[in-house]
Amino acid sequence: MRAGRRLLSSLPALFGVLVFTFLLMRVLPGDPAVFFASGPNAGKEEIEQIRKQMGLDKSVPEQLVFYLSDIGRGNLGRSMMTGQPVLKDLRERLPASLELTFTALLIALIAAVPLGVMAALRPGSVVDHGVRLFCALGVCVPTFVSGLLLIYVFYYLLGLAPDPTGRIDVFTSLPPQRTGFLSIDFLLAGDVDGWWAACKQLILPAVSMALFVIAPLARITRASMLVSLGSDFVRTARSVGLSWRKVVVTYALRNAILPVITIAGIVFSTMLGANVLVEKVFSWPGVASYALDALLSSDYAPVQGFVLLMASLFVLVNLVVDICYGIADPRVSIG
Amino acid sequence: MRFVSFGSATSVLATTALLLIATVPSHAQSRAETLRYVTGASVNTLDPNIPGSTRESFALSMSTYDRLVAFGRKQLNGKWVFDLDTITGELAESYDVSPDGLKITFRLRKDAKFQDGSPVTAEDVKWSLDRCVTAPILGKAQLLTGSLTSADQFKVIDPLTIEVTLPKPDKLALPNLATVYPMIINAKVAKEHATADDPWATAWLKEHTAGSGAYVVETFKPGEQVLLKRDEAWNRGSANKPAFFKRVIIQSVPEPATRANLVERGDADIVVDLQASDVQSLEAKGKLKVISTPQYNAITFVSMNNQMPPFDNVNVRRAIAYALPYDDMFKAALFGRGSPLYGATWTDGKPANGTYPFQQPVKLDLDKAREYLKAAGLPEGFSTTFSFNVGQSSTAEPMAALVKESLGKIGIKVDIQKLPDAQMSTQINEKKLPFYTEGIVAWLPSTDYFYRNFYTGNQRWNYSSINNPDLAAIAQEARFEPDKAKYEEAGRKLNAMHFDLMPQVMLWQPNQDAVMASSIEGYTYEFHRQVDYRDVSRK
Repeated sequence: MRAGRRLLSSLPALFGVLVFTFLLMRVLPGDPAVFFASGPNAGKEEIEQIRKQMGLDKSVPEQLVFYLSDIGRGNLGRSMMTGQPVLKDLRERLPASLELTFTALLIALIAAVPLGVMAALRPGSVVDHGVRLFCALGVCVPTFVSGLLLIYVFYYLLGLAPDPTGRIDVFTSLPPQRTGFLSIDFLLAGDVDGWWAACKQLILPAVSMALFVIAPLARITRASMLVSLGSDFVRTARSVGLSWRKVVVTYALRNAILPVITIAGIVFSTMLGANVLVEKVFSWPGVASYALDALLSSDYAPVQGFVLLMASLFVLVNLVVDICYGIADPRVSIG
Repeated sequence: MRFVSFGSATSVLATTALLLIATVPSHAQSRAETLRYVTGASVNTLDPNIPGSTRESFALSMSTYDRLVAFGRKQLNGKWVFDLDTITGELAESYDVSPDGLKITFRLRKDAKFQDGSPVTAEDVKWSLDRCVTAPILGKAQLLTGSLTSADQFKVIDPLTIEVTLPKPDKLALPNLATVYPMIINAKVAKEHATADDPWATAWLKEHTAGSGAYVVETFKPGEQVLLKRDEAWNRGSANKPAFFKRVIIQSVPEPATRANLVERGDADIVVDLQASDVQSLEAKGKLKVISTPQYNAITFVSMNNQMPPFDNVNVRRAIAYALPYDDMFKAALFGRGSPLYGATWTDGKPANGTYPFQQPVKLDLDKAREYLKAAGLPEGFSTTFSFNVGQSSTAEPMAALVKESLGKIGIKVDIQKLPDAQMSTQINEKKLPFYTEGIVAWLPSTDYFYRNFYTGNQRWNYSSINNPDLAAIAQEARFEPDKAKYEEAGRKLNAMHFDLMPQVMLWQPNQDAVMASSIEGYTYEFHRQVDYRDVSRK
């Protein structure tokens, strides 16, 4: 009930994003019609024709009205670049991005939380400095550099990883599409070889993305664990002789996890849009590289569709984060 | 009970193991019969006629559709390139040009079939050519350059004969029919998908094929990959055999370093768009076959807007032509991979021949540049911007820095401007850029075609915005000049004018560097500058 109200209250913000992106794309210099009419003999006629096809021959307010009514009918327009409806493109590519981002976030959390806890338990120790160094390295090295390095070592030198070209080896046949997440679809189809092939493709890009976000997650875990470990209830718990495990995991970590969830939510949203470099390096057919290509060629519809998608996802992710709060700390409720 | 189930489990295991063993060689077998081509671009439509279609789409359509005729091939410095002067039949068994050059009659092959098994008839050919000149598609502007403008020009004589009538004897009419656009479509199938708004089925053909080409499209994922399967019945190849490869995979791999890794590891078979630095290191390693062909139908320019001060002054343009550090630019941008269009010596001050593009007698000579600037009344120099697009930054960025440095020495202050591709093309179209670098390509590289399309009219491809009535008149006249000697003479005149007016500076023709596994044979440099999958085979 409350969740529904929250979703409703985010609609004005979504609408604002929609109109803003629409206007921004029109204000940017660069005429898509000229760009796409670049056959060796394309002249004025072709340019006019494309302009008409894209609806650019009308005035901007008129275009906006058409665009909004299209959106209302669930039509996001057509991409000039791929020649497909934007909705279809996004529907095909979003699972790829989500699968990659989820995996990366999972790897990052599995690595970051223990690292942060270890660092917080012995502040100033060798372990703490080690974690700090690791985090600093992860943040300093841009994802495409770590991606290229991983490819160089694991694909080019060692030959352990499969070729970094998308979600699946070109010679493997795809499972029937159910969720769009290859690793799940393969399991549903009972194809273990396919599942393993898909996972192998996923590991390197997910690790290079995870490396980048381990730092904020580990640092926030450490900081919030320090506060939590120094608080009265932990002192009490220790003084009554509870086991180390109970003190650290049950009392300290559970209380320290809230800020980590918040950051994880933000990190997730950012990763989804900002993993364009990883997608490019690994030829990953995701939404971010799609949007970047569209932006470079001033292909309006895909960029607008992408921004709308990201805004909606952001709303959803925030909702999920709030629900997670409630689970982690019953005192918090979605308001 | 337990024993039985145990037995069945072992037998399952054994069968799996057997299957595994059995599939290994067949996988290797199919790999050898598969061509995997990787590219930074992508196929965005199955009909190359759709406005906005990419070069990869052009190449794909060459394999999925046939044309009436095709270009032959010839050797240029030991490398196979397409030959504009040899036109061979593809769907046409033979063709005759009437003595007055006004009628071309094509006899179709009797055994030619579309991929659905129906025969290719003159009706299909007529429908396809009509579509090309009537529908609002890219083919229209292309066929115009060969005097093919109206559906009335194509006449069905009998089911296997079609006649093309020309208003004037035009040398480019026949070659135009071998280009990408006038592909022959299965009219019966296409018409079924035509609508009142779209009588030429452009929407349907964008995502489906109905051709007679060597390959059938198996899956098409725009922006990712296309899988092709050989049409076993296709026999329009050189030896009346189907194409060599059973399957072709066209895959988009945006990162050039990854493409280089793939081909070096043997996972990809052929790639034509690597960075010059990668090509050089792969060539040095010697494991792969590298075929570098100067793109003899393409040119890279430094262009100046002839209508915009100070470049409206011919002496300013000449000053620029003598102030560019050609050799350094050639090395920095292309690692010397191409053929230069500067540094010629004209002994009698006249062009050596009438072909375009040609080497101009310009070189870096700052004293001469300063004299020209003085003659232009700008001895102190001036300020300007030099633009290039993001898509070309790997070659244009080092070039721009060298231009800035060198022009700075004669007092011209240059600001470098890097523009997103769509912005750059818009500004070129609106004639707003004073000074920039761009490239051109012509599918039918004849001298008059270059001058007519790239040096006349207020249109996008006239980069320098030159407006010289004499030049336009000579080029226009040369188009229909049947006499070879006179044509050559006109070409010489045009080239001399080019050097005198210096509307823009020709820099070089970059190489097409095709890097392929050493087992790949038959690669030919085609007019569309992509790989024609029908050309290649594996040893």
